[in-house]
Amino acid sequence: MIWTIWKKEVESYFASPLAYILIGLFSLITGIMFFNLLVTYTDGVQAIPQDMAQNISFVEEVVLKLFANINFLFLIFIPLITMKLFSEEKRLETIDLFWLSPIKEWQVVIAKGLSALSLVLSMLLMTVIFPLIIWGVGIKDISLLSTSYLSVILNACCYISLGLFCSSITNNQIISALLSILGILFLWMITWGGHLNSNYMISEIFNYLGITSHFERILRGLLGTQDLIYYGSFIFFFGYLTVKSLGRRNW
Amino acid sequence: MSNIDKILVVDNVSREFPGRKAVTNVSFEVEKGSIHGFLGPNGAGKSTTMRMIAGLLPPSSGQITVLGEKVTGFNPNLKNQIGLLPENAPLILDMSVEKYLRFVARLHGVQNLNDQVEQVMSELMILDVRKRLIGNLSKGYKQRVGLAQTLVYDAPFLILDEPTNGLDPQTVVELRDYIRRLSNRKTILFSSHILPEVEQLCDQITIIHQGKVRASGNLHEIHKKFRQGLVLKIGLRVGEHLPDLSIFGKYEITQSHVVAKEVQFHVTFENDTDCRSEIGKYLIKSGVNLLTMQVESPELEDIFLQVTETKK
Repeated sequence: MIWTIWKKEVESYFASPLAYILIGLFSLITGIMFFNLLVTYTDGVQAIPQDMAQNISFVEEVVLKLFANINFLFLIFIPLITMKLFSEEKRLETIDLFWLSPIKEWQVVIAKGLSALSLVLSMLLMTVIFPLIIWGVGIKDISLLSTSYLSVILNACCYISLGLFCSSITNNQIISALLSILGILFLWMITWGGHLNSNYMISEIFNYLGITSHFERILRGLLGTQDLIYYGSFIFFFGYLTVKSLGRRNW
Repeated sequence: MSNIDKILVVDNVSREFPGRKAVTNVSFEVEKGSIHGFLGPNGAGKSTTMRMIAGLLPPSSGQITVLGEKVTGFNPNLKNQIGLLPENAPLILDMSVEKYLRFVARLHGVQNLNDQVEQVMSELMILDVRKRLIGNLSKGYKQRVGLAQTLVYDAPFLILDEPTNGLDPQTVVELRDYIRRLSNRKTILFSSHILPEVEQLCDQITIIHQGKVRASGNLHEIHKKFRQGLVLKIGLRVGEHLPDLSIFGKYEITQSHVVAKEVQFHVTFENDTDCRSEIGKYLIKSGVNLLTMQVESPELEDIFLQVTETKK
């Protein structure tokens, strides 16, 4: 059942120009970003004496910044991917096809979430050229590159689950996308809230609730249980809310 | 309640939306193997009731039973048992006809998927558009695909919400014929506001107006119920007058007109006793030329108008 819906959704993505536009645009923007980071780095290294230049880390200046920027791009790209998942089906009433069949809400939510993740992964696949270049430069650190990818994929999963929920509460795609963008912004702002607060405890709580601290830790290769628990519970929480929101028609 | 002859029992069902009552205390039953006409003007609550029966919308109160099972949001025993064609068919426009039907069949876990999809496409004459995207099809074909979607998992009970609405006359006739043939193996709840269509297709009807059931039951019984006394059409030769018939009870001549060489009187008697043979003998004895005598049953349209107008 999950496979059937996943297949239908992925086919639907690639039957419309949206998927190609998103993938193309994403590749273009990340390409420009990567190029700019490389140029800025080499200019920086050349501008200062050689002994000091060793202090400028390539990983810090190029790799980590690149993935942080990819995370930033998700703010727009993922809501565009998730916006139609439920709202369009609700508007066209095709969602009733599921409710007349023996399928359960959670199966639909998982299938749709996985289909959105598949599109995100195909977007990320286009960026694999960058690690190959980085590899060529001499940074042959598999674990660094894999945790960098893991960090953006985990963030994408969170944004997708949030996007699914936003899509399930409205039958207007635009509203769904705007709500997701606001939701993701809010997630980032929680961490900023932590920075503004002088109380250590409160600042730590904000830090834990915001996604940025977890993202940065994994990006730097510091994958801890607390981060996995955070991501797991985040995805489960919004998945659960989506299931409940779809189940409102029940009695 | 779980009488096996009754595929559907709607028991005192109401549904309220914020600020308005969509249906109020609706009760009716649908017998196995029948085509049950569900009649009402636009906005009468037909679609709301049908969605509640399909389990897509919870009633505010009351209970609905399909095949002896209580309808709830998720009753596993009712899955694959109800086929619904809503007013706007749930079509996935960017899918081809065949892919869409296979998708619906897979959702319902149909075993012999290929055979089933082929059979339904051939029955509904959509084999020639099987590879085309649904979004590019004409309205008639879209409606056929919508109907195919309800049949592909072979549900015994079909709910069709105005299936012939807005289609060209030929498609209407074909779909109607197909629905009639379907009734050999399915029970169908069929909503419409096209009255001749309902008269042709349905054995039983329910008339709903402003969210309330105004009449429900066998078409003949409803005719009988709304017939106020016996109505006879009596045809005499042109120029002849109808003799006084007051020995058969109080009556009035509601209309008279000339058809060819015959003058026809519509005579409404206050009581309902069928006294045609006596009237016939009496008229012949009175010396007039009796050319026609026929019981006039009111048209469904008359009943419908009576029901929807007088109880406003």
